[in-house]
Formats: sequence, C-alpha cells, structure tokens
Amino acid sequence: MSYHRLNELVNTVAARLGANPGVVAVLAAHTPETVVGLLGVLAAGGAYCPVDPAFPPSRQEAMLSAVDCRTVLGADPGMADQLGLKYLELDHLGADPAESDQSAEITGPPAPDTPAYTLFTSGSTGQPKPVVTPRRAISATVHSLRELFGLTPEDRVLQFASLNWDTCFEEILPTLTAGATLVLDAEAHSGSFPRFLRMVEREQITVLDLPTAFWHELVLHLAEDRLALPACLRLLVIGGEAANPARLDDWSRLDTGRIRLLNTYGCTETTLITHAVDLHGPEAPSPGWDWSSGTRAPIGRPLPHVVQQISEQGELLIGGPALALGYLGLPEATEARFTVLDGERRFRTGDRVSSSPDGVLTHQGRLDHEIKVRGIRVDPAEVEAHIASHPGVHAVAVVGTTLAGRSALVAYLVPRTTATAGTLDADVRSYLHGRVPGHLVPSRITVVPQLVFTASGKVDRAGSHLRHATH
Amino acid sequence: MSVDTTTSADSGGTPGNPGSDVESVVAIFRRVLESTEVTPDSDFFLLGGDSLIATRVLSAIARSHGVELSFDDFVLAPTPQGLAEQIATAR
Repeated sequence: MSYHRLNELVNTVAARLGANPGVVAVLAAHTPETVVGLLGVLAAGGAYCPVDPAFPPSRQEAMLSAVDCRTVLGADPGMADQLGLKYLELDHLGADPAESDQSAEITGPPAPDTPAYTLFTSGSTGQPKPVVTPRRAISATVHSLRELFGLTPEDRVLQFASLNWDTCFEEILPTLTAGATLVLDAEAHSGSFPRFLRMVEREQITVLDLPTAFWHELVLHLAEDRLALPACLRLLVIGGEAANPARLDDWSRLDTGRIRLLNTYGCTETTLITHAVDLHGPEAPSPGWDWSSGTRAPIGRPLPHVVQQISEQGELLIGGPALALGYLGLPEATEARFTVLDGERRFRTGDRVSSSPDGVLTHQGRLDHEIKVRGIRVDPAEVEAHIASHPGVHAVAVVGTTLAGRSALVAYLVPRTTATAGTLDADVRSYLHGRVPGHLVPSRITVVPQLVFTASGKVDRAGSHLRHATH
Repeated sequence: MSVDTTTSADSGGTPGNPGSDVESVVAIFRRVLESTEVTPDSDFFLLGGDSLIATRVLSAIARSHGVELSFDDFVLAPTPQGLAEQIATAR
C-alpha cells in the first residue's frame, strides 16, 4: 500500500467518524485495516481505544463503559449492537472515491492535551484501569524514537506487537512518520521460528521490535541450532521485561555483531519508551558487558524528551511531555501515582533503579507487588479480586513466580466447602477464562487447606507460595 | 540436543510411527514444562504452558521430526496425542 493510498483511506475513516468523535473503540487485529483505523481516529481528533476481539465480552464491556466510548470500528457489528454503540465498518474502504475527497480539513489540529489513545493497565480492584495519553506525549516520544532507531525511508519495520497494547505504536508511528515501510505478515505470528526467520529474510526486514520474552525464545532457538539471523536485519529492539543475562550471553556468542540490540524501558503512563541502551552490536559501549557472570542488563539512559528523578528510596520518577493525563474516572488512583514535586508533575513508576557513573540506569526491583507476565504489568490483587468472586472460593493468594524459565502467575485457593474442592481448580480456571484476558489467568491453580498470614493478619502471598509450591 | 526419545520395545516404535511420535512429544512437553505429570492426553495449556513456551515445543518438533507446525495447528490439538496426529498429517 502506498502512502498516497493510506492517506486516502485514513481520510475516509476520519470523514465517516466526523470531527471529534471522542473515544473510538477499534477491534484490533494484525491487519492494515486496523492501522488505517488507528490513524483515522487520530485524524478525526478522536482517541483510539483498541479492543482485543479475543477478550471475554464482559471484559470488553467493562473496558468500553469505563472510557465512555460511543463508536466502534471493526468487523463485528453484533458487538456494537449489544453495547448500544454506533458501528462503522473498516473493510471495503475507499470503494467510493468521492468519500475520501470530502475529508481533509474536518478539524483543525487538536490541542496538545487532547487524548490520543486510551489503554488499560491492571488495577487492584479487578476493574481495568484506563490510562489516557495525550497527543503531545506521542509527538514528543515518536520524535525521540525516530532518532533512537535511526529510521530512514529505506527501512522495513515488522509490525509484530499486538495492536491492543502500546508497543505497536512504537513500531507504527516512527516508521510511518519516517517514510519507511511497515510490514505486516501472518508468518510473524506462526509461532514457528524457522518460518519467522524465513519471513524476515523474504520481506528484507531491517528493524524488529520484539517483546523480551519472545526474544528469549528466539535466542534459545538460534543458539540450539547455531543459526544466524538474516543479513538484512540491522536493529533489534527489545523491551517489556528484564533481559535474561544467560540469553544475552548466548546472543553475544552468535554471529550478531553487526546487529544493534537495543534494550528499552517505559510504562504505559509515560508513553512507550523513556529509557534505552544498546546492549550489543555496533553502538554498544566498548568494552561491553560480561553477561556470563549474570550481570543485570541495564535499562539505559533517558531519551531526550524525558525528565527523570530518582527518589531517596531509589524509585524512578518520570516527568516531561510524555506523561499520561491520568487514570480516567479514578482521581484517587491518579493522585497516588501522578504526584507534583516542586510544581512539576511526576509519575511514580514503582520501579527501583540504580545509576552508573555515566547515567545508565539498572532496574533493581519493584516497590509494590506488581509483576510482569508476558511483558504485561499485572497487579496480583486484580487476579485475586476476580478469583475471590467465585462462589466456591473462601480465600486466595496470587503470586508471581518462574515456571519453565518464564514469569508466571500461580494461585492458591482455600475452598469454601470441602464438597466442591475436588474440581475447584478447573472450575476457577474456566470461570476466569470467561471474565478476564488470558494473561490474568494463573498458569497454576492449586487448592490448599489454608493460606499463610502475616503477624498483622494479612495474607502473606510469598509465605503461602513457599509453603504450598510443588516446584 | 536430541528430543527424539529412543522408543521402548513395547511401543514397537520406529521413527515416524504414531506411537513413537506420541512418546517423543510427551518427552518434549516434560522438558519444556519442567513437569513429569505429562500423559498423551495432557492439555499443554492446563499444565501451565502458554503461547511462548509453545514455540519451544514447535521448535523441538521441527528439529526432531522435520515438520514445521504453526501455533494455530498447536491450539487445535494441544496434547501429545493431537500433535502426533498433526505431525503424521504434515509429513
């Protein structure tokens, strides 16, 4: 698809939406139509709100009502009907050439603090917590990212991330504003590394942006078969969770010296990426790190648009134009995380960091119980709230642990009566699948006689895990 | 590393026969899930597997059986028995 054609389609969507459509839900899939939908919503002055078609309907409904969404774009008129929303089709766009002409100047440029997108993070109450990101945050971040990635019109960037999380914007927006090529290919999601690697070669991909957890698996695959990456690849961006030093060691032993391996850090509330560092390759510091001794991988230095501050407890605070407006409809939660210090707004990341003499930060852990599952932040209290609402459950503790070398959730349940205890683990699993996205369903659910409590009488998650873990 | 288990005499397995495929996929599940509780009809996802760990199973199958299944194939039949049938079909 040419930029000319993309522009026509985006204008068509914007014209159909009309000026300032508010929050527009988009049923997001790995298709050019979803990218057109995203840009169309932004062009009309609206706020993009992706909805994963695979999420349970009750979750979709909770998300859309939390953000006061009135319009849905996508392939499922049934859902719009059910939720009483205005429905606009995304397929068969531009069938009527007249339609894309009437578009153009439907609005002036929206104000910098107009919402651009709304995404959800995990909240302790069990309800999804909408983060509202303004336009100025995206323009500041995307500007920094184009520079960081060194994008030129010759680049071919794979669209890999789910269109339902913000990582996809760091692929789509820097690429399309640099005049480069965005590549969508079904083989990227085949789950087969041989097929993935052939696709990278066939499509002559120059830039990959992969979740760190996926990169770990890719490195295992490459190292086991002593394979090389296609020569076209010049930049591999990772992010989402801590890079495993063992995989970095594997990577540095492969024929990867010409590829920039760029580690990135950021929160939904601070827009895409705030920190980055080259861990390996032509732009990594020399001498490099020795990963074989288990050195923690740094998260890097702040990007040019980022203001950072490290509190006395070592918490990383972020300021500057990339801050979200807050959590929609949740003033208390907003106040707790977006504080004002010396008259400036700062987001409390909850991440403890240390700084090297040359300003490179390293993550040292969390100040709260939040954990990362498949690169997505999860508050165990949210999962506990959902499990506790099952009628057969008396008490529950959810903890993060490592299963098969990967971060995972495990749940320990105390049944309400012994009568239902036998099938309670399976019952709760299917109950959760009907209510929450897959990353919130624990990998292991174990029925136990009782939990462990702290001296003050609160459930001791770690203690319960220690007592009952089978591995 | 080879995951193609030496099949025991009672399953009568030569590489490529369905019985030995089931056994080798059971062995792959055990290795990637770090669990001994795997039987031919164990559901990968109920044992705590997810889409990323599934890639290790798919890589191992590609290596030992020369068959490149996709995640979609995997989800249709996430048990050793089901995957052995997929391997036989794809061969």
